[in-house]
Amino acid sequence: MLEMAIASGKGGVGKSTVSATIAITLARRRKVIAVDADADAPNMHLILGLSEEWEWEQPYSESMVARIVTEKCTRCGECMTVCPYKAIYVDEEGNYVVNPVICEGCETCSLVCPVKGAIVRDETLSGMLRMTRTRYGFPLISAKLEPGRPNSGKLVTEEKTKAKEMTDDDTVIVVDSAAGIGCQVVSSLAGANMAILVAEPTPASFNALKRVHKLTKHFMQPAAVVINKWDMNPDLAAEIEAYARENNLDMLGKVPFDDSIPKSMAMMVPVTEAFPDSPASKALLEVARRVEAILDEWSSWFMRFRPKKPEPYRPIIIKPEGF
Amino acid sequence: MIVSVSGGKGGTGKSTVAVNLAILLAEGRKLVMADLDVEDPNDHILLGVSLEEERPVNIMLPFIRYDDCIKCGECGRVCDTGAMLISPDGLPYVIPRLCSGCRACFFVCPTKAIVEGERTIGYTYHTVVERGSRFDLVTGMLREGEEHTPPAVLAARERAFSLPGDLYLVDTSAGTSNSVATAMDGSRLVIAVTEPTPLGLHDLELILRLTQKMGIETWVVMNRSGLGSEERHEEVVRRYGSEIVARIPYSRRIVESYVKGEPIVLLHPDSEEAQVFRELASMVEGVI
Repeated sequence: MLEMAIASGKGGVGKSTVSATIAITLARRRKVIAVDADADAPNMHLILGLSEEWEWEQPYSESMVARIVTEKCTRCGECMTVCPYKAIYVDEEGNYVVNPVICEGCETCSLVCPVKGAIVRDETLSGMLRMTRTRYGFPLISAKLEPGRPNSGKLVTEEKTKAKEMTDDDTVIVVDSAAGIGCQVVSSLAGANMAILVAEPTPASFNALKRVHKLTKHFMQPAAVVINKWDMNPDLAAEIEAYARENNLDMLGKVPFDDSIPKSMAMMVPVTEAFPDSPASKALLEVARRVEAILDEWSSWFMRFRPKKPEPYRPIIIKPEGF
Repeated sequence: MIVSVSGGKGGTGKSTVAVNLAILLAEGRKLVMADLDVEDPNDHILLGVSLEEERPVNIMLPFIRYDDCIKCGECGRVCDTGAMLISPDGLPYVIPRLCSGCRACFFVCPTKAIVEGERTIGYTYHTVVERGSRFDLVTGMLREGEEHTPPAVLAARERAFSLPGDLYLVDTSAGTSNSVATAMDGSRLVIAVTEPTPLGLHDLELILRLTQKMGIETWVVMNRSGLGSEERHEEVVRRYGSEIVARIPYSRRIVESYVKGEPIVLLHPDSEEAQVFRELASMVEGVI
């Protein structure tokens, strides 16, 4: 089994398009499972031309939400003072209320509340976990977060666990991660054997790429780069390539700016199928072939592109007096 | 007054809309812009300014005075992130990376054996921007390797609101999590930026659901207009009682401005694209 995570730091640069192309291509010769790990804005099923009909779907409850029982509340305000998320406010009638789209259910308010039973915690739906088969011969595992619930690395881990239950030794798991560098992305990268970093030649995307690259170094992961819309700014694309070279990141390919991608999205058909001869499709397929080649010679590729020295995450800690 | 720019899907143009609006709105008033996309802040990059006046974002990190610990295990029970590990001998150990700093353990400990230390999870910055007009930009930035965004969002938000201003313009992250809700909390208006693709549509509906839950008036801005059909978007927007208030055309000039990192209202102030932003800014002025 081999797990690869596709990440970018910045949103909307082409992660899901790259992930879909890789999954479709690999599935011709291998067992593949795709995981859409962007539970906040899950889009991979749309790229693969799937509707919202899932083979199975199950509710996922992980987070709690606090609720203040107005009749018991003495309006002392302690809860509002300690809430680390500033999720408690006073409404027009002077009642203390928990904002359910902000609360993380950490229990801190109930612990300081002087009245027993004035703050209760309710289990709440965090999101949905679902699976369907694609017409490309591989299953897609996806998750959808309930708007206003905490971003959940645990939900991503749960998706990956589901994927692993369906795999055997020679399965490849393709994880399409969320934007950013937070818990969903950390959980997407954690345990992956390699990372594919997608960037556009813009200052914002290049900067985000460096941030997510730091994470792959924390995890000691070999990583490769795909530059999307490279001809939008060839100079900056060259800078990103130079960065990849200097940092021992494999360069998988450059995809040109091409209207066939948004057009195919509108059709909800993968671009490589809708417009197989478009310049973008050709470049994407070349990227996927490079990934196939990597898998064929995995150990030598792994040894070559694995970070040479560990750069683990180190928390910055300020100790209290006497420690 | 707070106005937030959000949109659900990543890369739809939230920051582009936010910086162009900021430049225009700052012409007539004291504006503070808050970049609360702490995982990937890039308003400063789009504005071509550097991050200044760094301050750490510290959250509480528990330390245990083992002499006072009676091994009751309460701290481990209330910890909802798995950061407080109870060893087989009953003593608690803290895993800093997992700790959200909520202080539940500190409050529950019956013997006051937990002492408050701190951990730096990110930074906030304050830059005075002078691009066409003058305004304050406060940026929140999560440290790489840190996972928990809400405290960094809150810290940057509070720093922005501590500055004098009559309009606070918030740029949120992608997605619809409670971090986005925290960023938008208290807004008079949310401007949701989307694009005419099924992906944009899917995520637009999620953000409209969130702002509906929060009871915040929401306007929709269609970026890359002309790229695809907008019919279903119109349908969804109507269903949520919202409206597509502006359409930014998909043009070479926009791409050029994006690539150069130069806001379109400065790069091509007379273009039709800049005109769209000016109309949007005057609509926001109308609300104020």
